[in-house]
Amino acid sequence: MSIRHGLLALLELGPRYGSQLRSEFESRTGATWPLNVGQVYTTLSRLERDGLVAQGGEDDAGHALYAITDTGRDELRSWYAQPVDRTSPARDELAIKLAMAVGAPGVDIREVIQSQRRHTVQAMQDYTRLKARALDALESGRSQERDDVAWLLVLEQLIFQTEAEARWLDHCEARLIRIAAASAAAPPPRTGDPAPPPGPVAETARPRAGRRRT
Amino acid sequence: MNGWFHGWRAAVRIARRDAWRSKGRSFLVLAMIALPIIGVSAANVTLRTSELSVAEKADRTMGAADARLSDAGYGGVPIYQAPNGQDTMPVKSYEDQPYPDGDADTAKAVPAGARVLKDTSGTAKVRTEHGSLHVNVRELKATDPMAHGMVTLLDGRFPQKDDEVAVTGQFLKESGLSAGSRLTVRNMDRTYLITGAYELPGDLAANEVNALPGALLTPLDQALEAQGMSGTGQNTTYLVDVPGPGGFTWNMVEQANTKGVKVESRAALLNPPPRSEVKLYQHPDWVDYDSSGEANTAMLASLATIVGLAMLEICLLAGPAFAVGARRSRRQLGLVGANGGDRRHIRSIVLAGGLVIGAAAAVVGTVLGVALTVALRPLLEDWLGKRFGGIDLRPLELAGIALLAVLTGLLAAIVPAVTASRQTVLASLTGRRGVRRSNRILPVVGLVAVLLGAAIALYGSVVTDQFILVAGGSALAELGVVALTPALVGLFGRVSRWLPLSPRLALRDAVRNRGRTAPAVAAVLAAVAGTVAVATYQVSSEAEHRAGYEARMPSGAVSALLTQGDGRDASALRDAVRRDLPVDLTADLGRLTVGRAGCEMYSEAKGCGYVEVVTPKVNECPLWVTDADGNSASDHMTPAERRKLGKDWRCTAQAGSIGESGLVVGDASLLKVLRIDDPKAEQALKEGKVVSFHRPMVDQKTGKLSVRLVPDRGEANEAAAAEKEPPGKVVALPAYQAPDSVESYDVGGIVPAAAVRQAGMTMAPLGAYHSTDALPSSRQRQKLDQDLDRLGADVDLYVEEGFTGEKSIVLLALTVFAGLITIGAAGIATGLAQADAEADLKTLAAVGAPPRVRRSLSGFQCGVVALMGVVLGSLAGLLPGIGLRLTERRQSEKWYSEMLDQGGMADAPYTPVVIPWQTLAALLVLVPLGAALLAAVVTRSRGALARREAG
Amino acid sequence: MPSPQPVLQLQQLARVHGTGATEVHALRGIDLDVHPGELVAVMGPSGSGKSTLLTIAGGLDTPTSGRVLVEGTDITTAGRKALAALRRRSIGYVFQDYNLIPALTAAENVALPRELDGVSARKGRTEALAALEEMGLGHLADRFPDEMSGGQQQRVAIARALVGDRRLVLADEPTGALDSETGESVLGLLRTRCDAGAAGVLVTHEPRFAAWADRVVFLRDGAVVDQTVRSGADSLLAGQGSGRGGRGQAVER
Repeated sequence: MSIRHGLLALLELGPRYGSQLRSEFESRTGATWPLNVGQVYTTLSRLERDGLVAQGGEDDAGHALYAITDTGRDELRSWYAQPVDRTSPARDELAIKLAMAVGAPGVDIREVIQSQRRHTVQAMQDYTRLKARALDALESGRSQERDDVAWLLVLEQLIFQTEAEARWLDHCEARLIRIAAASAAAPPPRTGDPAPPPGPVAETARPRAGRRRT
Repeated sequence: MNGWFHGWRAAVRIARRDAWRSKGRSFLVLAMIALPIIGVSAANVTLRTSELSVAEKADRTMGAADARLSDAGYGGVPIYQAPNGQDTMPVKSYEDQPYPDGDADTAKAVPAGARVLKDTSGTAKVRTEHGSLHVNVRELKATDPMAHGMVTLLDGRFPQKDDEVAVTGQFLKESGLSAGSRLTVRNMDRTYLITGAYELPGDLAANEVNALPGALLTPLDQALEAQGMSGTGQNTTYLVDVPGPGGFTWNMVEQANTKGVKVESRAALLNPPPRSEVKLYQHPDWVDYDSSGEANTAMLASLATIVGLAMLEICLLAGPAFAVGARRSRRQLGLVGANGGDRRHIRSIVLAGGLVIGAAAAVVGTVLGVALTVALRPLLEDWLGKRFGGIDLRPLELAGIALLAVLTGLLAAIVPAVTASRQTVLASLTGRRGVRRSNRILPVVGLVAVLLGAAIALYGSVVTDQFILVAGGSALAELGVVALTPALVGLFGRVSRWLPLSPRLALRDAVRNRGRTAPAVAAVLAAVAGTVAVATYQVSSEAEHRAGYEARMPSGAVSALLTQGDGRDASALRDAVRRDLPVDLTADLGRLTVGRAGCEMYSEAKGCGYVEVVTPKVNECPLWVTDADGNSASDHMTPAERRKLGKDWRCTAQAGSIGESGLVVGDASLLKVLRIDDPKAEQALKEGKVVSFHRPMVDQKTGKLSVRLVPDRGEANEAAAAEKEPPGKVVALPAYQAPDSVESYDVGGIVPAAAVRQAGMTMAPLGAYHSTDALPSSRQRQKLDQDLDRLGADVDLYVEEGFTGEKSIVLLALTVFAGLITIGAAGIATGLAQADAEADLKTLAAVGAPPRVRRSLSGFQCGVVALMGVVLGSLAGLLPGIGLRLTERRQSEKWYSEMLDQGGMADAPYTPVVIPWQTLAALLVLVPLGAALLAAVVTRSRGALARREAG
Repeated sequence: MPSPQPVLQLQQLARVHGTGATEVHALRGIDLDVHPGELVAVMGPSGSGKSTLLTIAGGLDTPTSGRVLVEGTDITTAGRKALAALRRRSIGYVFQDYNLIPALTAAENVALPRELDGVSARKGRTEALAALEEMGLGHLADRFPDEMSGGQQQRVAIARALVGDRRLVLADEPTGALDSETGESVLGLLRTRCDAGAAGVLVTHEPRFAAWADRVVFLRDGAVVDQTVRSGADSLLAGQGSGRGGRGQAVER
């Protein structure tokens, strides 16, 4: 879906040919989602089929140029205007893994969490380093400003996503510790107990029982 | 109205809890406000209690009697009197004649059938353990029921026999005698047994001896008369107890008045007759001299000023505490604002802080004041010298005093309240220190006041010579400076850029927190300005006095002269001085006498005369010459002539005043003691010539000095009244005139003993002049005083110490006071600054400031406030001080020139303006330094380190 | 990235608060080296001991056992004065709050450690101005703290932490009171300073800020449980043959 609209957005800036579209797409998104030329042409032909783009001559080097149609522009407008659909979340391997690890024999779920956290933070470090470079580039004023800004936003999306993951991991750990402490202190847990509010509790009130571990 | 009340009640509740939470600060402010309140309320209670009621007063003056009759002193002519029994006046008008004089027969005025108790008093000299003492002798049968209430027996009993006396406790203390010892009265061969001690409730400090009627004064008078000495001055009054319930009525008083007797009557005192019935008030010559109203107004005005200044000072000192309190509870105030409280509410919360502490101070102050008075009553009675009546609490007056405390608290909280209410709710909640913009109106008002005040003072000191203008203008200008303080403090901030770290930090902090700095600086300023103004004036006038000081002798010399008696004690006196003081040389002095032996100086007794110098006509100052009609010659002169004569030697020379005539009998040793190095004078004395130090005395043609031997002073006085020359033989003595440059002090001339004999005159010892090796110490002088007491002679002892500033104690006290205020104010400001700076100190520690920085910072904070205050205060104080002196200079110059025009003569006035460098140095250097050191010492150097809890 | 000598070395560091029943082991046997040019983030939940670690590393607190070496010198045995001198000359602190002294201008705040160290006011100011200029804060030199934004204040604080020859910055939640964008710029500045050769320790519980570090140390109950190592290259994105690669190499050290 997003490649389709991404190409439309690029074509709105003027007619382009296939490989040109690919390189521009990558420079905008910092090669985060690599495209191959075949994918570009497949998408272009689908767009042409739907009447959103049209072939419009060749450039000096003989590349076939595509241009956006009015229908295409309309489609692009409505894409920008509509929020990204979040009702059917993508399958997340990490969530599935943790769900499986709960209660699995021979698996230390905290170990799983920690190793994931290390990986996540390490990824964040890498993104952050790239971001620092992008910021440097922006400040030094060299190269194409629009591409750099676009890339920065994509990077930051990745950073915030990983951050959310790291926070979620922190939260999982705190929650697991709390549950373990509660079951250790009061073996028959009352089913009607409302769950304590998430987040802040894990931050502020740290159970003493946790200290005996590690 | 109701809502307003409830709003206040909430405010007071918040303020009360806040005050309780910060106990240290609250206590400080409470103490500051309460201290003067304790003083004022104690003074009030003491004053009211020591003020006796009419009945209590009557008890003390007439005991249980109905009245006291005494001689009005008009020789028994009918009189009018006021109901108080004090103010009297003869019935007849004596327009140009003197009032009749003499004694009335008081006893005759006693109504028939009344019981009478005689109360006679006089004076006597009695011997004590230490020497002799002048005492009051009271012959009164103290055991009589009528005397009850007049005297209080302390110990033993009152006299019952003629050779017994009772004495006051004070007398026992001073004389060193005790009950059971015998009392010797001088000039009389009788002794008395002391049987007991008593006190006079109205005069605890009295030295009094009580004897039975006729037991002491009459025999003493007889003995004195036999020795040709003046008597005891007996004066008898009568205590009267009339039968019947009405007491000594006004009618009876008027009856007694017809016999020239005045009456203090209990009845008339308690129920005075209406003014219309008091004939005295109807008398055309009667003038009510009671000007107490005016005096009271002046006293009230100065009292109000003092109280006002004290309140201002306290407000200035307490203000910062409230400001910091408001700052501390800023978040709380912000919450009040966020919950719908408007500025008025926030203002009322901070004001309520002042109200709460003021009210607490009012209660504490008045209660402590009253308690203190009650507890210290015996001490206070001794100090005031009289017993109090019952404790007299005036609820209204005490409430007024208490109100003063509440008012002070409220006033101190006003500025912080307004400031706090101006802050936006958001700024209060976020704790962001908004941009501090100081009040713009205050500096403008201050500047206007300064300019106006200075102009008035300038006008006062340059154009007119009105003290009041100078003083008023200066006061206005000073208030202006106080108002300008925040702006001036801001100016000080400018220099901070170039200061080293700690002082820079301190100064910046002080400037940025003007809310607490300015009042403290103003408090210091006010105290220092007053001190410097007084000091300038004081030091200047002391310089003037020093210049105008006339020594009686060369520095270090001692004169010990007899003032009474015939000179018998002179040698004992000389020996005592030589024994007790480090005496080097002694010159015995004698005085020329005329008449029978044993005559005292200035005695008007029959047969006692005197010697006077006859100034030759040509040597008389023309300004003083009077013609036959008694007109002064100077009346016909022009001012220029008078001015010229004012500088003529005949007019300017100063005559000696020693002895009666300025002449003393002495020899060359006197020259040495007076440090007169003139061989010719020595030679002259050897040759039996008189040495004169006063040029007009010697007739230049004959080279002789003439004295008149007046045989009887009484005759001479009569002659003088008739404008005739006094009778007496004139003797011319060969004389030598010492050069004008010789300083002879009091001595007008020295007559050698040989000349006295030769001229057929007589002489009596007068005493001696002594020169000393060293200035006698206080201990030596005390020893001598004791010895002289034992000698029992009347001696004029004078040690020439040169000029000693008399009021330096006042200056010192003022300086100390200003210093204390400075240290106090700076200390308060520092304490508050320290409380504020805790966060900064943590940062400093983290950045690596050595531990001592905490100390030095607080020292500088204190020093900065003190320094700003004393610098501004010194400037503000010097100006009025100098202004006052300039006014005085103009005035004395005016007087001088007027006096010269009229033919008077005096030294040109010397009105210096002296800057009190010592005081200034103490205030400008020592006080801030001391304050800074003190603050640094009392600050803990440890404790700022942030030991942040793991989090 | 091995370096001849670490600026900060923590060896078997332990800290016990209280005694007996109230005994709390805030730190238990921490080993940590921080090299020049390295920014180490310490992460962990509240109570994990990260702030204690920082106060001990800066000499504001003393460990119960173990050693703290700053530029090779053991500071656990130093006296109060020596520690203060150490904070002036070797260690710079940045806190979440209580950072700048309100009565001093930015330049004066930066010059503070130098002046406390006895450097003349003029020289201190020159150095401070240079430090501020270097960090792009020159225009703030004569402003007072309450005339600056929170981010500006914090950046001035970093300048102060590094003025002089100091090579160790200890930052305790420096972004706590700042919004995300401003916090980022503060971290960016810290990063730059470390790239220029300083060693930094950053205590935070925000992963996004910790990600600016070369190394992230995870602290749990007073002990290091894990740490990330900086990958040699841009592991995620490098080598994918995009137009981006060239730029990446340009900054590669």
